Order: sequence, then C-alpha cells, then structure tokens
Amino acid sequence: MSQIASNESTVLSAEGTSDLLARPGRRRSRKPALLLISVLSVMLVLALWYFATERGWVSPVFLPKPGRVVAEAIANFASGQLLKDIWMSTQRVLLGFALAGVVAIPLGIVMAVWAPAKAAMDPFVSLLRPLPSITWIPLTMLWLGIGEGQKVAIVFMGSWIYILLYTIESTKRIDPLLIRAARNLGASDLHVMLHVILPGALPGIIAGLKVTLAISWSCVLSAEMIAAQNGLGALIWQGKDWGNLALVLVGMLCISVVVLLADKLADMLERLLLPWERHQRS
Amino acid sequence: MVNPPILAARNVTKAFTTGKDRELVAVDDLSFEIREGELVCLLGASGCGKSTILNMFAGFTQPTAGEVLLRGRPIVAVEPRCGMIFQSYALFPWKTVRGNVEFGLRMKGLSRAERRERAAAFIQMVSLRGFEDHYPAELSGGMQQRVTIARLLAADPEVLLMDEPFAALDAMTRQVMQEELLKIHEQSRKTIVFITHSIDEALILSSRLFVMSARPGRIKAVIENDLPTPRHITVQVSPQYGELKSRVWNLIESEVRRHVTETARNQ
Repeated sequence: MSQIASNESTVLSAEGTSDLLARPGRRRSRKPALLLISVLSVMLVLALWYFATERGWVSPVFLPKPGRVVAEAIANFASGQLLKDIWMSTQRVLLGFALAGVVAIPLGIVMAVWAPAKAAMDPFVSLLRPLPSITWIPLTMLWLGIGEGQKVAIVFMGSWIYILLYTIESTKRIDPLLIRAARNLGASDLHVMLHVILPGALPGIIAGLKVTLAISWSCVLSAEMIAAQNGLGALIWQGKDWGNLALVLVGMLCISVVVLLADKLADMLERLLLPWERHQRS
Repeated sequence: MVNPPILAARNVTKAFTTGKDRELVAVDDLSFEIREGELVCLLGASGCGKSTILNMFAGFTQPTAGEVLLRGRPIVAVEPRCGMIFQSYALFPWKTVRGNVEFGLRMKGLSRAERRERAAAFIQMVSLRGFEDHYPAELSGGMQQRVTIARLLAADPEVLLMDEPFAALDAMTRQVMQEELLKIHEQSRKTIVFITHSIDEALILSSRLFVMSARPGRIKAVIENDLPTPRHITVQVSPQYGELKSRVWNLIESEVRRHVTETARNQ
C-alpha cells in the first residue's frame, strides 16, 4: 500500500514540474548530437541489463532476462490479453478523467470569478486535497462495490481537485485589463465569459489537464491492483502473485508507453486548440 | 462656432485608500468641459491623476465626490460610448487582427458579412491590410497599437479616451502614429481626450491643452493651441511652436520639480 502511494506522488511531482517548465505549444527541437547521447545511454543500460542477467551477476528471481520480458510481451500480445488490459484501464481513466473535467472546470471558473462560491468550497478543497486517491478505496468499495463504477470513482476522486486548482489559478491570472477592454467595447457578462475568460484560461486549463491525465493513470493502477479482474494494474499484481517478474515488467512498460502516447496526443490537441500560443514570445 | 460640451467634470474629487487610514487624493475638485470634436491633451507629470480622470470617463471608477458627465448625463457604469485606448494595447491574444477589430461589432450583434466588411475598412484605415489573420503577438508594438485604434473605431464610440497610447513605442514610430492619429481625427471628427507627459506630443496633437498640476491633480492652465492645421511634424521648427513650448514648460517646470522632490522624500 505505502509503495503505491509513494509511487503516485512521484508521478505527480515529476510530471508537474516538467510540464510547468515547458511552455505550451513550443516544439522541442533536439540537436542530433544530444539525440545520439540519449540513444547510446538507453543502449548502455539495456546492455548492462543483458550482461548482468546472462552472466548470473543478478539472480533471475530479482530481475528476469530481457529475452524473457520480450517473450512474455509477445505471448500476452498474441493472446489479446495485453490489449484487453490496456483498453480496460484506458476506458476507466478516460471516464473518470472526463467526469472530473466536466465537474471541475465549470466549478473552478465559478470559484475564480465569484468569491462566495470560493469561500463555500475552499474548506472542502483544503480537506480533500491531501488525500491520495487510494484512501478512497474502502469507502468507494462500500458504496459502489468492486465494479467499473468504483474504479471510475477512484480516478475521479484523484483527478478532479487538480483540474479544479489549475482552472482557478489560470482563470485568476487573466489580465483584468482585457476584461475592462471587452466591457468598454460593449461586452455583456456572457460575452466577457465566452470571449475573454474562457479563451484566456484555456491554455492554463489544458496544461492542468495534461498533468492530471498522468495522475489519473496512477489512480486507476492502484485501484486495479487492489481489486480488479483485468486492467494493467491487475496484470502487474497477477505477475507478482505468480512470481512472474517478466509479466510485471511488461505491465510497467505498457503503462509508460500508454501514458507517453497520451501525452503526445494531448500535445497535438493543444496545438490545435491554441493556435495563438505558438506565437507568444517568451 | 462653439460646439456644446460632450464631456464634463463637475467638482470631481477622487481619493484612494492606500493601506490603513491613509488616503491618496488623486484628483481634487476638478471642473472642466470638453467640446464635441475637440482633441484635448491632458499634460502633466507622472502621478497627477491623468489616468484617473480617463478611468472615470470610461466608467471604470466613480468619483468620490462630484460627477462626470457625458452629454449632460452622469457616467455611473462602464460607458461604451467613451472608448478607451490603453497604453499596453489590451488586445485579445487569442483573436487575430480581424477578430480583434470585429469584437465591438460582434457585441452589437452585427452579421458576419457586415462585420467583415466594416472591419476591413478600419484595418485598411490603419494600414494593416494583409495582416488580418495574424495574431497580436506576431506584430510590432506600433502595429498592435494600430489594431487597438481600428478595434475602437470599428466599435464607433462617441469619444476616444487615449491613455498615453504611444508611450511604449520608439520615437520614430511614435511620430508616425501621431500623424496617423491627426489624420483619423480629421476624418472622423470624433472627440479625443489624449493623455501624455510629452510636451511635444501635446503640442502636435491638441486643439486645446490642459496643463495639470502635480498631485492632487488640478488644472493649472488651459491653453488654446493655435498652431496651424492640418498639422505636420515640421511645425516643430516654427518660432510659434518654440514660444508655445517654452510657455508650457514654464507652467509645468515647478510641478515636475515638486513631484521629483516628493518622490525622493518618500523613498
């Protein structure tokens, strides 16, 4: 349990800083020499792994051979089990994440522009924020059983507060001069909301969604490890129960790849939704 | 030919509370009238309450005492008939040049085709044709300020309030913008209230010139600017210009010195 919790918090902080430092919409162009170093460094670690296990420096009880991991991945892929698990986890993440966005984005905007709403919500936000999503497992199991609803609820509970905080922060950071200018040009409250506040907060909200998506993934995995028949978390837990470390590693690798792909997809969506951000000078 | 006043301030005082129990009187018992079609420059050192006056005419803030009037009616809420040009442009970064210029027309509920047509005319007027689909961040400061002028003119307010609009521009761009503003004023005959702390800018632009005293803001002198119109930058070499400039400087010098020593004492 405690291991899962600390795992979740590292995902959170690592993703959080990297995404906050990277300016949205700016393409990262890497010099070929640096790319070569990255490739070499990966190959070095793989080689080290290979020799360490082949030569018996490390017992296979602690670290399986790379070949075993590849074989395990191929077997699970061929049987369709791996894709099914990926799809189950993805489904739970997307449902819980979407639900969290639908609730937290409008709520965050209202809290940012209307002080009484913020005052009413603040105590609950302060109380709920420190709770890791796994602490919701006992209650959600009692309320919702161990079906899909419970997994989605865990993702929701672990995600919505972050989306809320990002939305409040980015809505508050809108230049008040722009709101003045809009009113001066005859904008009503509704127009100010649609033409100034929403587009003004959007870059920050999208940045927040990207960070939160990784958090949602760690939520679903912890929920699946505790009680689920399928999904990547269950796959990893099965591997552990059967003493099949290769399967555990396959599961972990899949998580990394899926989250990376989701991040790339989010980057593409971001560029599409925020064409003006490309031109912002730093 | 004296036009009726379009804007008026009657015994306007504006005080801000700064910290606990400390009051800062930005404007003190100010009264003046601005006639329709005039280009009035408010000239004064920093901190003389110039921006406060504009903010009250735009309805962004209300006077502590007295009243500001548009065509004889008190301004009590944000007043779109008094359009504001901000020093920092305040363009919507997520809208293209066309989207920005169309904004006021959209608020009025004009159809897409009408908006396009009217926006195109104003974009042409400020010489930004070909930049319709650019975002503000892609434009230079001078171009951005031209977009705000087109955006405001398209919204068709009765008064243009300009708060040091060219202060952030380099000297040469500023001169070009001043001439363009004179042309726009010539064409539209709109009333313009223009804030500046540059005597040259005030002399080139204004038909009347209010010299303000340092805080609390009061009008120290009203000068009818009788430099020939239509005006060109070359007016600056005429002897008449030199006389007027030294007259204004004599009025304002003591205020600037007072402001400088006060700021020094407060630090």
